[in-house]
Amino acid sequence: MISFDQASYEKVLAALDRTNCRGFTLFPLTSGRGSNTGEPHFGSHAWPSTCSTIITIVEDEKVDRLLERLHDIDKESEMLGLRAFVWNVEKTI
Amino acid sequence: MSLYEGAVRRPIMTSLVFLAIVILGLFSLSRLPIDLYPDIDTNTIMVMTYYNGASSEDIENNVTRPIENVLNSVEHLKHLTSNSKEGVSVVTLEFEFGHDIDALTNDVRDKLDMVSNALPNEAQTPILFKFSTDMIPILLLSAQAEESQKALYKILDDNVANPLARIDGVGSVSIVGAPEREINIYLNPQKMEAYGLSAAQISAAIAAENRNITGGNVDIGSNTFSVRIEGEFNDPQQMQNVIVGSRNGINVYLKDVARIVDDVQERAQKSFTNGKQGAMVIIQKQSGANSVAISNAVKKQLPSIQKNLPSDVKLGVIVETSENILNTINTLTETILYAMLFVVIVVFVFLGRWRATVIISITIPMSLIASFIYLYATGGSLNMISLSCLSIAIGSVVDDAIVVLENVTTHIERGSDPKQAAIHGTNEVAISVIASTLTMICVFFPLTMVTGMSGVLFKQLGWMMCVIMTVSTTSALSFTPMLCSQMLKLQKKQSKAFKVFYTPISKALAKLDDWYTARINWAVRHRITVIIGSFMIFVLSLVVAKLVGIKSEYFPANDNGRIGATLELPIGTRVEKAEEIAEKMTSMWKERYGNNLRVINYRVGQAGDSNTFASMNSNGDYLISFNITLVPSNERKIGLAQVCDEMREDCKKVPELAKYRILMGGQQGGMGGQNTATFEVYGYDMEATYEYAAALRDSFRNSPIITEALVSRSDYEPELVVNFDRDKLAIYGLGLSDAAGHIRNLINGSLMSYYREDGEEYDIRVRFEPTARQSIIDLENLLIPNNQGANIRVGDVATIEESSIPPTIERKDRQRIVTVTAVLKDGYALSEGVDLGNQLTEKIDRPNGVTVQVAGSYEDQQDANRDLGTLGILIIVLVFIVMAAQFESLTYPFIIILSIIFALSGIIFALCLTGTSVNIMSMLGGIMLIGIVVKNGIVLIDYTQLMRERGMGLIRSAVVAARSRLRPILMTSLTTILGMVPLAAGHGVGSEMWRPLGISIIGGLTVSTIMTLVYVPSMFCIFGANGVKLKRRKMRKQRELQAYWNEHKQEEMLNAQAFSENKK
Repeated sequence: MISFDQASYEKVLAALDRTNCRGFTLFPLTSGRGSNTGEPHFGSHAWPSTCSTIITIVEDEKVDRLLERLHDIDKESEMLGLRAFVWNVEKTI
Repeated sequence: MSLYEGAVRRPIMTSLVFLAIVILGLFSLSRLPIDLYPDIDTNTIMVMTYYNGASSEDIENNVTRPIENVLNSVEHLKHLTSNSKEGVSVVTLEFEFGHDIDALTNDVRDKLDMVSNALPNEAQTPILFKFSTDMIPILLLSAQAEESQKALYKILDDNVANPLARIDGVGSVSIVGAPEREINIYLNPQKMEAYGLSAAQISAAIAAENRNITGGNVDIGSNTFSVRIEGEFNDPQQMQNVIVGSRNGINVYLKDVARIVDDVQERAQKSFTNGKQGAMVIIQKQSGANSVAISNAVKKQLPSIQKNLPSDVKLGVIVETSENILNTINTLTETILYAMLFVVIVVFVFLGRWRATVIISITIPMSLIASFIYLYATGGSLNMISLSCLSIAIGSVVDDAIVVLENVTTHIERGSDPKQAAIHGTNEVAISVIASTLTMICVFFPLTMVTGMSGVLFKQLGWMMCVIMTVSTTSALSFTPMLCSQMLKLQKKQSKAFKVFYTPISKALAKLDDWYTARINWAVRHRITVIIGSFMIFVLSLVVAKLVGIKSEYFPANDNGRIGATLELPIGTRVEKAEEIAEKMTSMWKERYGNNLRVINYRVGQAGDSNTFASMNSNGDYLISFNITLVPSNERKIGLAQVCDEMREDCKKVPELAKYRILMGGQQGGMGGQNTATFEVYGYDMEATYEYAAALRDSFRNSPIITEALVSRSDYEPELVVNFDRDKLAIYGLGLSDAAGHIRNLINGSLMSYYREDGEEYDIRVRFEPTARQSIIDLENLLIPNNQGANIRVGDVATIEESSIPPTIERKDRQRIVTVTAVLKDGYALSEGVDLGNQLTEKIDRPNGVTVQVAGSYEDQQDANRDLGTLGILIIVLVFIVMAAQFESLTYPFIIILSIIFALSGIIFALCLTGTSVNIMSMLGGIMLIGIVVKNGIVLIDYTQLMRERGMGLIRSAVVAARSRLRPILMTSLTTILGMVPLAAGHGVGSEMWRPLGISIIGGLTVSTIMTLVYVPSMFCIFGANGVKLKRRKMRKQRELQAYWNEHKQEEMLNAQAFSENKK
């Protein structure tokens, strides 16, 4: 699951493409705030920015590469904020 | 996909759409007519009724009154005025502005049909006449001539008037000051008497000789010929041998009793230009045509026309209304360009990014150009109002773009990609951009609903501002983000030159930020002091206004470089005397004003009957009409009003002048003339009202602030009355009208025939020698033939006595009235004149039944004040509603609305400091300020509220918000203020019209911006602190209640149970 500022959508998509991750699901409008730093993304008057969230299922060997690329994006614009979380897929159809 | 997202994703489409708007706008601009004011619809209808032979009082009672009574019920009537003079009644209906004059004309016609039976039988059918501004000539040409003087009328008619009249849009071309050719047959009274001939006989004989007759057809062989007898004279001298009668069997020829003079009309106006005799050509436009276009077309033709004229006839321009219009519009265009430049500089200084500055400089002209499409579509014109509207709009148009730009920049700096930053940055501020546009529309839309004269001016302004605001918001939400996504990028490295240039600026700005933060830190902690201080400043401004005394006027005086002057000698003075005085004045003024004077033209003398232009203006042997044109106001140091004042002083020194009237601007009733206080004296008794009016006029004349005072009622005109004795007429076998007809023939001449030459007709006028009609005795010696062929002397059947024609009876709203007008000296305002007049009217003993009322432009001013006052309140309410909706609160809008009073203080200070008077333009400035001032407040409060929502404390959020909003507020205020500086400080042609507007906006905005920056955070803290206290109290009460409930729950429930059981 990748949660990021709306503005980073294209960069995240590029990262997915470059890592050859085809499938994903996008939640274009999500909101939330980071645990330690960064501005909340509430889409409200006070905090107008909002996040998008992507859930993608990635082969194990690609995970690190993808995370690295995502981390690069996050470092490039820390103010926007980008977080990715990995967990196992138990079952699918 | 939202508007901005679409725009950013499709940059080509977006830029081409806006390019199309620009192209359409420029196309419209090239087609727009140029004028001084927006089209002012006609609102006056005149009803003229001729009733020959009736005295002014008869006319008043029998014609004017019945017409007035019935017309008084026409809808939308503002004033009903009438003039009843000998033989004619003129009723003028003035309607409220903004109603369809054609529908009103039909109403008037219907009402007149109702009254036609009540009018005297001899009175003619009333004629309806719509007065319009089209009747004011747009161009006066002069023709100077030497040896061609006598033939000048024909030369001008053939070579100038006819070609000019063919130009598209030219209504009529008339020639004044050149007498027309006339064949005069002067009869010798002694010889006439000796041969027993009368003037009628002679003119009948001439008419009988001067004819072409057809004689039927003749068949010759196989052809048919028509027979024609050509008897018309082809040389006036041929008339010499006309047989006019016979005496003792010998023919009497015309040459025996008369001389034939092929000359010009005896009585005609003479026109002198720059001291040289000539004529004047007057060009009027067709209704709805554009003066500037026609004027240009006429001037383009002039060189080729000049080529066809004899070498001694020189054409020149006396008055050209279009020149002033063009100069004014050019000055205004220049100020708009300056304003744009200033705005761009301000944006650069505050944003510190040249790319951002380029974006702003592209978006400003675009919204302005779009408004031309609106103007073209609605048939508007480029005029003073629409152009000053552009210059006002510049400041507001940038605001929207700046807000978007700033937020997008913030996003980019946070690391967003420009495209994403443009979309999301715009998304975040879209609502507040729309809200601020709504507040501006709330200010300007009500302007479109103003009625009256000011409504005519403001309607266009209101619509234009609404259009510009809408376009600018649309472009800020689509075009600006698109440009941002294309042009903006993260500035990773600044160039060296930029650093050298911009570092001092950014340091100064940072210092300003710190300084302001320190002040605001103090202010929010001493908020009661700050608020009291702020209101003290407001009170102080009121005190200053009271002490200095703000003057008021209706409309600023406009320096168009034209003066119209009418000098009156005592009625009955001969034309030669008038000519002499006119010449003296001309040379005096020519010497004094030298290069400042461009053309000085005057007309003297009585115009002929056939001259329509002259007969519409007052003329007479004792009158001198001047038309003076000075060089444009930016090329001379002396003001037009000052020149007028000096000319009045000169006139005062000429003892021969009975009356003089110097009209600044050259025409009556227009806007922008000198301040004139008008007092109406009502009362039935003509003597009493006149006496009172004259006393008022005299006391006005003694006042140092009045340069000219006049009473509207004219003097008695001298006349000679021939009283026939009916008994004696009967004895001699004469009828009265017969006898009167003969007298007319001998003096005025009998017209029975025309002399034809080159397709033109000239009158053949038969009358007595001029030397035989110069005294009362001459008149008594005139001969009237009777039926028996004997000649009777007028003296035998009539007495001739000197008398005078009573003056015109003027009425307004069905009451007799005399108007006293007092023109104020340069630099004095209308309000001073009105105050003076009110004092004077108190001092002068007023006879019973006489009432006095202030009218004229003061009345208009009062109307406008009332209208604009109502408008101001309406605007404030609307703006309040928009703000309350935006903030979802009633307190914040209240804080912001209250800051408007500081704008008022600013206006007062600025007006007092510059000595400008309050007029319609400065009031307009005040109304526009509401929108701008409120915007500043909104920005500040909105951000403070944001800070609080982000969890800051009350005082800290106020301080942080104030610091962070200082630059945007300063920037928007400075763009508006600097945009106004060229208006307020300009010295070009017409600048005196919009200077008050510029001054009031600069003053009001400067003070209100400073006050907003200090007052709003303090006020916010006061209300905020109160809110916090209230909330705490509420919470405490709730807590206590809860504690009580927890403790006494059981008890309370039992009580309630007992209560309900009791009830059962």
